[in-house]
Amino acid sequence: MNDQHSVTGLYQAGNSSHSTPARAMVTERQVVIYQQQGGQPVMSAVHGDYRFSEAIAGLPVDLIFADNSRFIPDDAGYRWKHLSKSQTITEWLETHWSAVLVAAVFLPFFLWFMVAVVIPASSNVVAESLPQVVADELGQQSLTIIDAAYMEPSELAASEQENIRQRWHDILQRLNIPPDTYSLQFRRWNHGANAMALADGTVIVTDSIARLMKDNPQQLDAVLLHEIGHVEHKHSLKILTQSTVTSLLFAMMFGDVEGMGEIMLGAGTGLAQASFSRDMERDADQFAFQELQSLGRSPQDFADAMRALEASHPLRIAAGQSDCTQDCDNNSTEPGFFDYLSSHPATEERIRAAEALAEKQKMQQ
Amino acid sequence: MTPTELPADNAPAASSRTASIEFSGSKSAFTKLWLVNLLLSIITLGIYSAWAKVRNNQYLYGHTQIEGHRFQYLAKPLQILRGRIIAVVFFVAYGFISSLNPALGGLMALLLLLLMPWLIVQGLKFTLRNSAYRGVRFSFEGTYGGVFVHFLLLPIVGVVTLYLAMPWVVQRIQKYTYENATYGGKPFTLNTSAGEYYKAVLLCLGIGIAAIVVFSILMSVFGIAAVLSSASEPGYGGQMSQGAAISFIIGYLFTIICFMFISYLISAVYQGMIRNHIFNNLSAEDIFKTHSDVKLMPFTGLMITNALIVLFTLGLGYPVTRIRKQKFLAAATTVTLEPAIDHLVNTVDETHSAFGEEAAGLFDVDLSLT
Repeated sequence: MNDQHSVTGLYQAGNSSHSTPARAMVTERQVVIYQQQGGQPVMSAVHGDYRFSEAIAGLPVDLIFADNSRFIPDDAGYRWKHLSKSQTITEWLETHWSAVLVAAVFLPFFLWFMVAVVIPASSNVVAESLPQVVADELGQQSLTIIDAAYMEPSELAASEQENIRQRWHDILQRLNIPPDTYSLQFRRWNHGANAMALADGTVIVTDSIARLMKDNPQQLDAVLLHEIGHVEHKHSLKILTQSTVTSLLFAMMFGDVEGMGEIMLGAGTGLAQASFSRDMERDADQFAFQELQSLGRSPQDFADAMRALEASHPLRIAAGQSDCTQDCDNNSTEPGFFDYLSSHPATEERIRAAEALAEKQKMQQ
Repeated sequence: MTPTELPADNAPAASSRTASIEFSGSKSAFTKLWLVNLLLSIITLGIYSAWAKVRNNQYLYGHTQIEGHRFQYLAKPLQILRGRIIAVVFFVAYGFISSLNPALGGLMALLLLLLMPWLIVQGLKFTLRNSAYRGVRFSFEGTYGGVFVHFLLLPIVGVVTLYLAMPWVVQRIQKYTYENATYGGKPFTLNTSAGEYYKAVLLCLGIGIAAIVVFSILMSVFGIAAVLSSASEPGYGGQMSQGAAISFIIGYLFTIICFMFISYLISAVYQGMIRNHIFNNLSAEDIFKTHSDVKLMPFTGLMITNALIVLFTLGLGYPVTRIRKQKFLAAATTVTLEPAIDHLVNTVDETHSAFGEEAAGLFDVDLSLT
């Protein structure tokens, strides 16, 4: 019919390096390949019995026949009428700067959404559904590492330890937490007053913090409640699943990207982790405030404890007592290892939150 | 109507002929293609990256021609996606287990090490079998044992000899890899000599030492100038004056830039020399022989500017650098073709798992023959 047209090109055999200059005659029903020299037909197929190679900028679209032989048009820009919509769209996207631009504008929002919403939410779900065995294993592992590399056995007197242990048991009892799910450990640590919680419910108290709060045991109670908050909220597990989910997701998204993958991976993970751990501190603080109140104490204890801790770290004083954003944030969070002081942005902000709540409590009484 | 009925066409020449390698890729076209595919990969959480990989490779292969015939990349996206999913599952399990229990993780790492030769074989097989020229596929015939010896044992020898044997080890590894590649069922031959590798390493060592000497002289001149200038400023007791602080920062940046420059310089010289040596000694009997004439000065310039492009575009300039390098290498390469290339029969079928290649990529064993 008058709809037929012809295309010149090369006919390439399917199972050998043979090829011959050829002409493809396309009719309404089928395509027939004729050899250029002599005009013999060498292949024919009805539409649908052959496929097209991918449409890619500057490259011809081949007809691929059932025996893997190909007809390759001479004109690299030639596009067949029967080419599928998806192929045409893909090529259009790949050849227009406008598509690049639209996607580039959209992308930061998408990444922000992944990092700020999807990753934390999905790692929370995963962390909540992990069996207790995982937490136990993780906690024991961390304690082994801490003992081997960071801390020494405690040098506190047995009576001092016993005093703290007594208060600790009181707290657990009044919170209705079975005491065998938690364990209190004393260690000597050269980097000052600190307390930390491990995934399995182990809470470590350093000698310096015990001495620092010896005369104000209610401050140590507030700190211990904060640590219990970390455990109750499964923060160690969340950190673990979150870093796994982040690196997995970023590996999936950027793993194939040469040159850029590493940069994005590092930046994204760091970014997500920093905001994530700040949220966790806030959650643990909230837990401590609430439980202090339900124990009939004031969140002021927490504020006082923070002040005492801050004053006990000379570097922090040098950095200025009012606000320590950069200097405190040394981000030394090991997996499953909650450092009480590092990775916290505004200590002052937390103190203010505690004091505001204490004020409110006082007003209500 | 089978292709075997095709008459002896094109009147293939009875004697060997020399052909150049034409690369017709364009920087802007490849940048658009690469970026759109990158963005699609990201918003599909990586699922599209299998398609992206195929399309990027098809662009680069298809724009490479010898005698008017384009190279073809024939891998199927779904094959790659499947391999990628298996690799990701494995990767997650490995990551999770090793952070929970380092001992078990260590055991898994050991198993992985034993699995490595297999992954390398599968990876090379996948890439080469999906590479074709004139309808005929390449392939890889290496074995677990061979790869184990060359990729795991020989490097240990290299380290034990305090790296004195390392150039020889690298030469053996590359010889093994190339000589197990085939095209149309015909094996490659690579007649490289370890001597050339030692020559390249010694030259690089010489350049490195010379560059560091020049750098040290510059630094000491610069340092004296800085000290003199800061001495003339009134300093606050014990504190660094502003001038001294600035010259300290400049000196620091200068040091980083110089060392980056030196390392790119050395790696470009090494790559150029070894590329020439390999491609001047690579052939497949009765089919082809390659020649390479990479000029070291322009190649070094290209590699250093490429590194700067990647650095200053935070990686987004990668497609530009890729096209520049590909163009440069294509222009520096010629091939002598024997008449037999017109009568090759494809001996490779297309089914092959992509898991090896994907897993190898995830666990950082990236290899390629380019």
